[in-house]
Order: sequence, then C-alpha cells, then structure tokens
Amino acid sequence: MTTQRAEAAAAPAIDIRFGQMGLIQVLIWTTDPGAILDELTGRVATAPKFFQRTAVALDVGPLGREPSAEEMRGVLEAVRRAGMCPVGLASGPAAAQALSQPLDLPLLPPFREFHPPAEALGRAGARRVEAVPAELEPEGAAAQVHTHPVRSGQRTYARGRDLVVTAMVGAGAEVIADGCVHVYGALRGRAVAGARGDAAARVFCQEFHAELVSIAGVFRVFETLPPELAGQPVQAWLDGDVLRFERLGV
Amino acid sequence: MTEIIVVTSGKGGVGKTTTSASMACGLARRGKRVAVIDFDIGLRNLDLIMGCERRVVYDFVNVINGDCTLKQALIKDKRIETLYVLAASQTRDKDALTEEGVRKVLDQLIADGFDYILCDSPAGIEKGAHLAMYFADRAVVVVNPEVSSVRDSDRILGLLSSKTQRSSNGNGGVKEHLLLTRYNPRRVANGEMMSVGDIKEILGLDVIGVVPESPDVLAASNAGVPVILNDDSTAAEAYSDAVARLLGEELPLRFLEEPKRGFFARMFGG
Repeated sequence: MTTQRAEAAAAPAIDIRFGQMGLIQVLIWTTDPGAILDELTGRVATAPKFFQRTAVALDVGPLGREPSAEEMRGVLEAVRRAGMCPVGLASGPAAAQALSQPLDLPLLPPFREFHPPAEALGRAGARRVEAVPAELEPEGAAAQVHTHPVRSGQRTYARGRDLVVTAMVGAGAEVIADGCVHVYGALRGRAVAGARGDAAARVFCQEFHAELVSIAGVFRVFETLPPELAGQPVQAWLDGDVLRFERLGV
Repeated sequence: MTEIIVVTSGKGGVGKTTTSASMACGLARRGKRVAVIDFDIGLRNLDLIMGCERRVVYDFVNVINGDCTLKQALIKDKRIETLYVLAASQTRDKDALTEEGVRKVLDQLIADGFDYILCDSPAGIEKGAHLAMYFADRAVVVVNPEVSSVRDSDRILGLLSSKTQRSSNGNGGVKEHLLLTRYNPRRVANGEMMSVGDIKEILGLDVIGVVPESPDVLAASNAGVPVILNDDSTAAEAYSDAVARLLGEELPLRFLEEPKRGFFARMFGG
C-alpha cells in the first residue's frame, strides 16, 4: 500500500498535450428550437451510432445576424435533446464573440468561414469545383518549359509558376500549372491554369482543340468546339465566375 | 553497332507482326544480320507470319530461364541467310518476361554481332509491351488511319519518351517513326478515313512509310511468307520503301493516291 502511494506521488496528476480531433459543425439557419429539434432528430436517426453523444460546434454564421443569448439557449437545448453535445461556438462570425461569455461556451478558432452558395454556379456551361486557396511559391520563379510533345496519358504540372509547352498537347494529355498555361502548338488535351486557385491565371494556345479548360476551378468541357475557336490561337480567362474564350490577335 | 528497333502500336490488330516480319526481311535482304523477337508471350504469331512455326523447338522464355542456349532457340530463316527468328512461348504468360532476362538475351544478340534486333511488341501497354520497348534505340509505331489507333499511338509515344532506358538515362531518347498501314486512298478521298497529313499533324511525327490496304497482306500471312517478299504487291513496295527510309534513304511517299489516277499521279504522288 505504501508503495502504491509512492508511485502515485511520483506520477503527475495531469498531462497537457496538443492534439487535433475532428469535430462536427452544426450550421444554424434559424433559432427556432422546434424546427432545429425536428430536423436534428431526423438526421440523428439516420446514423444514431455516429451522432449520439457526439461533440458538436455551433456555427451561427448562416443566420446573418446576432442572435440573443436567450434565443441561443433554446437552440442549445434543442441540440442536446436531439442527442448531441454542443461543446463550443465556431469563431468565424462576429456574433459568436459576443455569445461566448453568456453561454459559457468556448470559441473554437480553426473553422473555415461560412460562404453562402454562389448563385452563379452552372452559368454558361461553366461549373465550379472546389479550388484550394492560392498559396503560390515566391514570385519571380521562371516558367517551367516543356519542349517535347505531351502525349495522351501524360501529365505535366508546373508547381507555383507558369507552364510553357513548346510542342503539342495530345488528346487525353493534361497540362497543369498554378500560374498560366501556354501551349505553342496544338492543344488537344486538358489545360488547367490556376490549379491552386489563382483566378488571374490564363490559358493560351496556338491551335485550340481542347477537351477541357479550367481556371481556378471553373471549367468547361468541349464536347463540340465552337467553330470560331476551333484550330485558332485562343486565350481563356476568368471573368468573375464565367470562363471566357477569345481568339488571339484579332 | 547493333540497333534495337521496337515495332509497337498500343492497339491490337493494326499490323505490328506483319510489319515486324516484313521489315526484318527487308533489312536482311539488304545484307544486314537481323534477329526478330516475338514479345507476345502466350499469343505466339510471328512464327506463323514468318512461316517457321513447325521449326520452333525452344523459345524466348526458354532462353531467359536458361533451359537452352540462345543459339538453340534462334530459328534461321530458309529464304534469307542473315535472318533469325526468336519465337514467343505459347504456353506461358507475360510474367515470364523479366527486365533482367530480356536484357541478357539482347546483350547476347549484340555480342553475336547482329546489326538489327526487331522487337515485335504485343498490344496494350502492360508488361510485355513495356519490355519490348524498354531497351529500344528506335521505334516504329504502326498506325491505322482511324481515331482510336491514332489515340493509342499517341499514348505509346508518350511511354516511349518516358518509360524506356534511353529516356531515363538521357541518351537522347528513342528515335520515333510512324508507319501507316491499311491505308485506303479512295476512302481517304471520300473523307471516311484519316489522311497521312491528319495523322502527321496529330502525332507530330514524320511518316516512315504508308502501306496501302491490300489483299496480299492477308494472303501472305496465311502462306507464312512476309508480304515484302511478294514482288507484285504494292504493300511489298511500300515496305521496301520504309526499310530504305529506316536506313536513311530519302524517298517520296507512294500509294497515297488511287492507282487509276495514272502514271504521273503515281510518280509525283503526295
């Protein structure tokens, strides 16, 4: 018994470590407890093992306003009754700051801000896929130059800079750059510029027959080539959410 | 100085084996010592086209496994003194080939003083095709004038420029040539078939030969006599031209127009 006590004395009472754990966020579109309870109960029922007693953070961003602490207490109660355990507030929106104290919930910082879905999706045949935010390499990096044909099945990627291909790009080949893509030859495959989200990146080619062109995640597939572009020197750029194409040198 | 030439295409049935047999005969007929190897393990065909199927005792895999010597496995052609065939194994699969084994056989052929080693690649881009091209100095890419064959050839050209010994050790890469087979000038004129110009443009390579579609090719295969040996055939003339161009001669392309267009069109065709 004495030895046990000695061991206990030697061991620290606690350890503090830094660790990352996945956390589910509940985005609040309303503060109506009834509506929240109804919907959450339904969701929890679809995967009870996953959602029951699971820790969640509330994100008040979608509300677009600052809810009162009283309203939020109702929300918290609804979430608890649905079987989840609210453990904090997502710290993106300013409203969360004010609520943290009265609700006695910590602010959890590393959440991505909530963006309302863009209305321009799907416009003019262009669709948006998630592009990773730009984090380009130091400026001044010379373009990556590729002097051989890029053949079907091959893929060339210029990380953090422009890609210059001084030969053709075959059908089924992919030329990708974080900056612009320049093809001094026929472009028959896929060209992806601004692969890490640079919306100012462009695609240039001497002879346009591309299968797909993408800039900063906005892409367009060419099932049939517009006659005014086919075989022409063409540039492509991003105008807001719309991918535009134009013949060069007219 | 031995040159290793791979005859490849990606797509099946475009005429790789026919081309291997005819080019091997054409080179040997010009006095070169030539060995032609069938890399299509499990689907042995080259021996049939060469007409030596009844003389296959040992094959490529036997040599790799050390069951016999290379000398025992090489089949000497009965028509041309300096031509030898190394048959594929019909009972094995492509896993029987190893990079080391293939290298060993090629090194022995080089040591034997062969001028040319032709590697008849199987279709596809898997192990057999990979090993057939891996050691090549030059490549003859066989293309039919249709879109899927052209696409597959583009893929093969990509592999030739990235997955070969010459591409990886910076030896200037594999020298690539296109050879069009089954070319039908009438159907090209009608817009039913891609033209030489289209294919050259899409693949960005020069053409070493255009072999017209001809019933002589099938007849030659069935008879086990490479079509290049048929003196009356346009296909044979086209293959002879391709062999000459492979050896560095400059000849205009023939048989790009319909024969009925007359003497001048044939002389200045193209």
